[in-house]
Amino acid sequence: MNAPTDTAEARELALAGMGASRLRKEDARFIQGKGNYVDDLKLPGMLHMDIVRAPVAHARIKKINKEAALAMPGVHAVLTADDLKPLKLHWMPTLAGDVAAVLADEKVHFQMQEVAIVIADDRYIAADAVEAVEVEYEELPVVMDPFEALKPDAPVLREDLAGKTEGAHGKREHHNHIFTWEAGDKAAADAAFDAAPVKVSQHMYYPRVHPCPLETCGCVANFDPIRGELTTHITSQAPHVVRTVVSLLSGIPESKVRIISPDIGGGFGNKVGIYPGYVCAIVASIVLGRPVKWVEDRIENISSTAFARDYHMDGELAATSDGKILGLRVNVVADHGAFDACADPTKFPAGLFHICSGSYDVPAAHASVKGVYTNKAPGGVAYRCSFRVTEAVYLIERMVDVLAQKLGMDKAEIRAKNFIKKEQFPYTSAFGFEYDSGDYHTALQKVLDAVDYKGLRAEQAAKRADPNSPTLMGIGLVTFTEVVGAGPSKMCDILGVGMFDSCEIRVHPTGSAIARMGTITQGQGHQTTYAQIIATELGIPSEVIQVEEGDTSTAPYGLGTYGSRSTPVAGAAIALAARKIHAKAKKIAAHLLEVNEGDLDWEVDRFKVKGDDAKFKTMAEISWAAYNQPPEGLEPGLEAVHYYDPPNFTYPFGIYLCVVDIDRATGETKIRRFYALDDCGTRINPMIIEGQIHGGLTEGFAVAMGQQMPFDAQGNLMGNTLMDYFLPTAVETPKWETDFTVTPSPHHPIGAKGVAESPHVGSIPTFTSAIVDAFSHLGVTHLDMPHSSYRLWKSLREHGAAL
Amino acid sequence: MEVKLDKQYPLDVDADRAWALLSDLKATAGCMPGAEILEQLSDTSYKGTVKVKVGPAVAQFGGTVDVVETNTENRTVVLRGKGADKGGSSASMDLSAAIVADPTNPAHCVLNGSAAVIVNGKFAQFGGRMMVQVSEMILGQFVENFRQTALTLPAPAGSAAGQSGAASTNASDAPKIAKEINGLAIFWQLIKGWWQGLFGSRG
Repeated sequence: MNAPTDTAEARELALAGMGASRLRKEDARFIQGKGNYVDDLKLPGMLHMDIVRAPVAHARIKKINKEAALAMPGVHAVLTADDLKPLKLHWMPTLAGDVAAVLADEKVHFQMQEVAIVIADDRYIAADAVEAVEVEYEELPVVMDPFEALKPDAPVLREDLAGKTEGAHGKREHHNHIFTWEAGDKAAADAAFDAAPVKVSQHMYYPRVHPCPLETCGCVANFDPIRGELTTHITSQAPHVVRTVVSLLSGIPESKVRIISPDIGGGFGNKVGIYPGYVCAIVASIVLGRPVKWVEDRIENISSTAFARDYHMDGELAATSDGKILGLRVNVVADHGAFDACADPTKFPAGLFHICSGSYDVPAAHASVKGVYTNKAPGGVAYRCSFRVTEAVYLIERMVDVLAQKLGMDKAEIRAKNFIKKEQFPYTSAFGFEYDSGDYHTALQKVLDAVDYKGLRAEQAAKRADPNSPTLMGIGLVTFTEVVGAGPSKMCDILGVGMFDSCEIRVHPTGSAIARMGTITQGQGHQTTYAQIIATELGIPSEVIQVEEGDTSTAPYGLGTYGSRSTPVAGAAIALAARKIHAKAKKIAAHLLEVNEGDLDWEVDRFKVKGDDAKFKTMAEISWAAYNQPPEGLEPGLEAVHYYDPPNFTYPFGIYLCVVDIDRATGETKIRRFYALDDCGTRINPMIIEGQIHGGLTEGFAVAMGQQMPFDAQGNLMGNTLMDYFLPTAVETPKWETDFTVTPSPHHPIGAKGVAESPHVGSIPTFTSAIVDAFSHLGVTHLDMPHSSYRLWKSLREHGAAL
Repeated sequence: MEVKLDKQYPLDVDADRAWALLSDLKATAGCMPGAEILEQLSDTSYKGTVKVKVGPAVAQFGGTVDVVETNTENRTVVLRGKGADKGGSSASMDLSAAIVADPTNPAHCVLNGSAAVIVNGKFAQFGGRMMVQVSEMILGQFVENFRQTALTLPAPAGSAAGQSGAASTNASDAPKIAKEINGLAIFWQLIKGWWQGLFGSRG
């Protein structure tokens, strides 16, 4: 391997370990079209499933006639809720402690709900047979607005919960009420407001959006009736959780259930939940004894699998007259749709929304979130963010802007005034979070200098003074803190399983290695970055380290990849598994060099005898010896497993600035400049970080400027194709400028905090801040998303700013 | 998705003949492009279909039409239609129509129609943005068919309207009733309307 004459620096470079912008190992197969996705899988004898869905949002099912469909050649089965009833699979538990219909049981609760499934020889026959299934509906009054849903005489949506006054998260106050969850200290917050000289409040609606990954959801279920084994390839961000749930629901021992998440074409939270389509395909495979494939189309994906957001938020800030925040109060009405299927840690029905005091030293705070049923699809997942953190960051960043506007203060000045100071970390917030580390002032100054903030404000003032200016100029500023890496199992679990994660590393005799994790990459580049952590820890070149994830039969148990938890949790497990191997390697090296362990120094890829550069053993030599001549009393082999239960969350932060020019005649917005500074602690692969930030900013741009799921009064979703639902391409996407500071997490083994979601969480309020800033001289304090040209054109006219 | 339409169509048909046609549901349905009454279920209830073709997509709504009210004195009729398509759409319509005589010209009348149409499912999701225009087009075709059919009815004996009506309609000028709502025609009408609107506003 390395010639002994190589310098330590040269050898370190050759490892391509942490800090190297190593090219993505995944890309070779993706750019050649050689990825292996669920829909690529074709098994002998495989049948295809398609789903009969409800055209209306709320109705009683009077009759289902499947005769015509069953009579079609090539159709093997048509199943309805009545067929699943004897198996007790017509309803299933959700991650949020509710139940959801697998197939509509007597009633449909949202448009496009699953009513029946058809199994046929091919996809085309299945689709034709779906049209031949006749369903008679008796339409019921539709409730699309959560405030309407809570009225005393509102229609009862969940008849199955009749008389249930106790939900999974406490008392239910109304037949369409799910939970009310509170955090913080109400009395302290109220006292702060009573005493404060300045108070502001703002209502805002965070629209329902959909993560819309390029690959839709699907699975291939394959039950082997001879062996009694079930293998399912599935688009899941959490394959091990799926295995546990499938075993619990089906009664098949977990050891005979194998869940494989192959290549995943983006998840963004959409692939965390367990959907009726998966359950039905598995049931069909067990019943028919043949493999069954189900892959949803785009319309089904946007209409029926998990949405995000849909929060109606009221924020209030109390402050001194010079802008020091004294208190925060938040009230949220959360539209959860027909079933509460939010993917949150069990104890947190509103996720980690109580991070909503943000980057600021807020002495008193209280938040209350009310979950409500409506006739919309279930979901409420973390769309490229930690649980409900996007909503929280949006709320506090909007509120700080509103306060600054009321006081006539500059956005940057009010933030600097209220930041948690560097020396206050670790800092315990009024909501009880313990922020690990941060240096907000340094980062803010770096951004303000980089963009010439004063110059931008002067330019804006000049434009406002000119009545003929063709554009309104707006400057958005956001200084966010996220909470990611769920999480400590004393607080966080999913279905009772603690939210740890795991890694198993095996170093082979010739010095290469394989590592297996409980997470699953969906574009994050785990196969590249995980290898880099091991390379640095063990001195093995990342090029010869294979990373495998997603197969529950080979990988150790883990809770999966979402909520920016891979690096904070699994990344730590990798480092600690590697350190176990490192410790054993040291014993072997001492034995080979005939010295005490204490006489050895570690240098890049080898143990050296102190004071004698010529006496050393490389990891490659140690690996061979581990299988060949281990010291007496030490078992052969060189492998380790580590399950990491994090002591705390991690708290990445960022400072984002955006300049927009809004055309006063058309409402079209040009994103002139977007400057994103991120601090994710230790940086493993700067190139991948850059790519993740570009991706997150682009998705944030999509949400802020165009994404929405518009429903009409009858519950029809009017934007469920890519003709309507905004996915920006290179044409619409602005240029991104990125920057960074490094404030390592003190409790994480390598100091890393997680990054891929920060740009989504941080950018969305930055766009809104910039858009509102363009209108702020007209007295506008807030404009709801999406900031589409049409909506801005209407705002321009409303406020007399149109040309 | 709900579309509300409130329309007045002046017709060169006398009120008596127009009402004779309007009060005959089966005949009126025959004027509706793509519509057909298949079966009479009771005095006031009918079973029928409506076929709409937009490009390659065909929706065939099967359902019922009920005559909720017929008022001969005021020449008004109130209908309620309800139907579903196998492809995952459903529709309902409340329609009231009235024939109002033209006080200045006994040979003319006005057809007043107001309708609330609710469409659910795929048709609403895909067709939503075109619903108003398409509905107006369909109604336009319906009124033209209605006019031509009414003119073929025997004129009220000895009336001036009968004379003028007979003069404008002869055997060789048989009504050209559009039997199906044609997607291409709809598209063309939309383009034409848009084009005219574009230049009309400048002219």
